[in-house]
Amino acid sequence: MKNSASEYRLEMTGISKSFGVVSVLKNVNLKVKSGEIHALLGENGAGKSTLIKILSGVHQKDAGRVVLNGEEITPKNTHEGQVLGINVVYQELSLVNDLSVAENIYLHKLGANKTWMNWKGVMNDAQELLDSLDFKIDASAKVKNLSIVQKQVVEIAKAISEDTKVLVLDEPTTVFDPKDVKKLFQILFKLRDQGVSIIYISHHLDEIFKIADTVTVLRDGVDTGSMPIAETDKDGVIHLMIGRELNELYPKRDIKIGEVPIFEVKDLTAKETLVHDVSFDVKPGEVLGIAGLGGSGRTETAKLIFGADKKKSGTLLLEGKEIKTNSPVDAAGYKIGFVSEDRKEEGVFLPLSIRRNISITSFDSISSKLGFINVDNEYKKVLNLIKKLNIKAPNSEVDVKNLSGGNQQKVALAKWLSIDSKVIFIDEPTRGVDVGAKIEIYNLINEVAKKGVGVVVISSDMPEIMGISDRILVMHKGTFYGELQKEQFSEENILRYSIGEPLKTI
Amino acid sequence: MALTIKEQLSSPGGILKFLVKYNTIFIFILLVIFSALISDVFFTSVNLSNLLKQVSGIGIISIGMLIVILTGGIDLSVGSMVALLAVTFAILVNIFALPLAILMTIIIGFGLGSISGYLVAYQKMAPFVATLALMTIARGLSFIYSKGSPVTFTTVGGKFMSDFANNSTLRIPNIAIVFFIIVICAMVMLRYNVFGRLVIAIGSNEEASRLSGIKVNKYKFLVYAISGALAATAAIIVASRTNLGSPNMGMAWELDAIAAVVIGGASLNGGKGTAINTLMGVLILGLIGNILNLLNVPSYPQQVVKGAIIIFAVLLQRFDSK
Repeated sequence: MKNSASEYRLEMTGISKSFGVVSVLKNVNLKVKSGEIHALLGENGAGKSTLIKILSGVHQKDAGRVVLNGEEITPKNTHEGQVLGINVVYQELSLVNDLSVAENIYLHKLGANKTWMNWKGVMNDAQELLDSLDFKIDASAKVKNLSIVQKQVVEIAKAISEDTKVLVLDEPTTVFDPKDVKKLFQILFKLRDQGVSIIYISHHLDEIFKIADTVTVLRDGVDTGSMPIAETDKDGVIHLMIGRELNELYPKRDIKIGEVPIFEVKDLTAKETLVHDVSFDVKPGEVLGIAGLGGSGRTETAKLIFGADKKKSGTLLLEGKEIKTNSPVDAAGYKIGFVSEDRKEEGVFLPLSIRRNISITSFDSISSKLGFINVDNEYKKVLNLIKKLNIKAPNSEVDVKNLSGGNQQKVALAKWLSIDSKVIFIDEPTRGVDVGAKIEIYNLINEVAKKGVGVVVISSDMPEIMGISDRILVMHKGTFYGELQKEQFSEENILRYSIGEPLKTI
Repeated sequence: MALTIKEQLSSPGGILKFLVKYNTIFIFILLVIFSALISDVFFTSVNLSNLLKQVSGIGIISIGMLIVILTGGIDLSVGSMVALLAVTFAILVNIFALPLAILMTIIIGFGLGSISGYLVAYQKMAPFVATLALMTIARGLSFIYSKGSPVTFTTVGGKFMSDFANNSTLRIPNIAIVFFIIVICAMVMLRYNVFGRLVIAIGSNEEASRLSGIKVNKYKFLVYAISGALAATAAIIVASRTNLGSPNMGMAWELDAIAAVVIGGASLNGGKGTAINTLMGVLILGLIGNILNLLNVPSYPQQVVKGAIIIFAVLLQRFDSK
């Protein structure tokens, strides 16, 4: 029949998939029109990634139909998917560090049907493409010298360098600051207007409501709803995602903040990074937020204090006494904790069990002088923390790589909670973490603060940092530009300080 | 808690999973059965004790290799170190009292290993390069000090060592007992001591280790030093068996040690591997040589079979990670 031409470019119907005995997708439908930004939402483990991987050819479906432009497709690998015009930008970057930006963008085409390389052509094409994205990136630069934001942009450039019909973005903005997010959205709008179907996965509901036309929600492998974005709101979407009403994303804080600072930093300047003349203090029980644009030196400041980067000058005072942290070993010795933003590379030990991850910092208390570990004590301590942090795992011997992002983050936190840290720096506490786990992590932060710990949270997520902090310091070009008290909290104020502007006087 | 063996076997596909998980032990048992069927000499105490004597030296350096590999490194110097330290021991035992000679040899081994350790941990040299250099240096030195020919034991101490190395206690060769004790120590250290935990942690994620406040450099340094000390122990045993120290000893032993560790399921990327599996790897390699000898297979085809077994063992492990 001729009029069977559907209004949808991509139709995935009745998709089911299980790995072994675990059923990941059950009869899921996803229908995307051309020239549409379609948000795909769901908590971690809801099945979003699996659905996308079936679309792109990484996994094969057990049942169901995938129809692209009216024809059924069954890509057997990602190359076949790409040939069909399906390109995915995954959360984990897949760039080759030692090659140039241009080579990375055209990696899949290099050498195809040609004996000799036209390097000049490749460079020019790549540079043109990057310029059209409005991010300043040199196509001849080595990827390893790029910032994480730039790498993500290159990844996107790579995906759209082809004749893309369906573009999938999996959490593309987790590393972006608001300014870059805006630019990315401009790119997406442009692509949409050119007729590309965009599937956009994100945990940031604010973003979704800014850019998506339609939204589909998955929960536990079942699609719980699909509707035009105009017909729903945040609460409605959250309800579909977690199947319950969400009263408070940011838990109320009722904590007494101490008068005397537990930790002070004076005129701290880095030897090798842009951080300079940083001074601040944090009081026991306080949650201090550090905001700023990507690249403003927030992470570097934390790493400097923690001893992971080299200091040039400055003093640190812990409980009024001067301390020196020339290495993380020193910092950990003073019970200063640091939870990295890069969970997989710097935070947890993926191939090791939860137990081995958590006890890595606390051997002093569970081992004898000769270093023999009291395993009973270790179990007791670890199981206690697993229970307290509500880490979802069948037992303490599960490898951390098998946990969801949220639970991995809890393991990274548990490491520092197990030694009763006095000050904890948490860099991007909920990056790539689903809503349910977010709330748990916020509660955890509050609980830690309650015990009199000074908590410093670095975050690019504006609602988050305003929701959980007692006070916010804003970084700009390597130093603190301004401080915001609770009553001054607003996205505008944070942004103004972030870009080096004074606040508006009313 | 971990599943019991019975539970594993009763789950669907359990038997297969069990076999894949414990594939090193499984291969070992298969080889033993196969050897016993194919040759009636195999299960004689003379043959078994010979087998154990043959593998003890390589076995001891394999344990050192395992500890280095667990951190994500590699130690190519151990074979040459065995030669240099065997010559050293032969010279020392002819001068000093036996306990002193043993102690000095082990300390020198520790010291030589420390050089690799220093280069890797503090000068950030690639382990392959640093230990390759040490390998050449150690071999060269062993020829220089021995003037190219073996140094024979001449004193009472030497005689005592040679008797010790060639005799058995409770029908187990003494040198195999030394090897087993080292395996057990390594097992305990890797499992129940902070040292083992940290070594494995460093191998599985060095940056996360550093940011957890672990003295990463100290442990990276230590593993090479320990590997050196174990090479010294192996050298003493090997020299004592033949009553002399020769610069030709330990040729390509580092490769056998790496093979044993890999057959034992360890990952060259670090973070994965156990002492008991390395023991199995050592025994499997030894068994293959032994049975091929009993079948009168010449040494060149033996090498081909050895290589094939390594490929087979590692392929089998791939199922495990899937």
